[in-house]
Amino acid sequence: MTAPTPAGPAEALGAALTAEFAAIWAYGPIGVRLTGAARKAARDAEAAHRRRRDSLVVQLSTGGASVPPDRAGYTLPFPVTDRASALRLAVEVEERTAAFWRAAVAATTGADRDRALAALVDYAVRATRWRRTAGISPLTVPFPGRPA
Amino acid sequence: MLRAGVILALGGAAAPLSGCDPFDRDDGPAPEPDPLAPLLDEALRLAAAHAAAAAAHPALADRLTPIAEAHRAHAAELARVTGMPLPSASTPASAAAPATNPDATLAALRERERGGRDAATTACAAAPAERAALLASIAAARATHLEALK
Repeated sequence: MTAPTPAGPAEALGAALTAEFAAIWAYGPIGVRLTGAARKAARDAEAAHRRRRDSLVVQLSTGGASVPPDRAGYTLPFPVTDRASALRLAVEVEERTAAFWRAAVAATTGADRDRALAALVDYAVRATRWRRTAGISPLTVPFPGRPA
Repeated sequence: MLRAGVILALGGAAAPLSGCDPFDRDDGPAPEPDPLAPLLDEALRLAAAHAAAAAAHPALADRLTPIAEAHRAHAAELARVTGMPLPSASTPASAAAPATNPDATLAALRERERGGRDAATTACAAAPAERAALLASIAAARATHLEALK
């Protein structure tokens, strides 16, 4: 995932779809390093990304827009070797995916914007929960999804 | 108070007169307030509420201080995009005293964040594209505050 760039609705939603593909992929290595409630939270988060991926594929293909393909693998920003690095990556995945939906908010209107905002809010809250699980302080950032 | 305002208005009008429309009379109707004005006021009230709660409950300060700072950052961004002045940092009289019980204080802050999140969500839906992303981040931030106050 690279930084989201402003574009038309189809481009922004296509970019959000690539972010969802990468997020789903990343939860593979995250999940295997977690146990108990944290592993369940990872499964729930992955399911949320899969739901949005599926809706985007349907929406983009029925709208006649090009649907970006998933890749066989993605480069992680840092190696995931234990619980602590898995939790840090989970925070990172949620924040980065949130950034693509934030860009989609600006590029869309009406129901599409409502859905994009709901995704941004959902992932920002998940990032906060992951920080709490990881013991990272502060739990929040001032502008979720805004490029640093 | 009134005199200072009049002097400021005259001073402001005197300098950049060259680019003005000659028919743009200053006795016309006052400009409509920016639709984001209530959101800016709310951000400042939320910042004050968190700061007051942190002062009353030092054990909560680590959690509440970053949230108060986030609300001030939101107010600064809203002032920037709207061109509205940011009031100087003083505690508004409207800031109610925090409850003596920490749990009740947190519950009251959660209630305010919930209302703030909903207001920012509504504003985002109605906003032009260039303001929508900022309002989306503010709505999301308030939702994360709600989570952090649990």
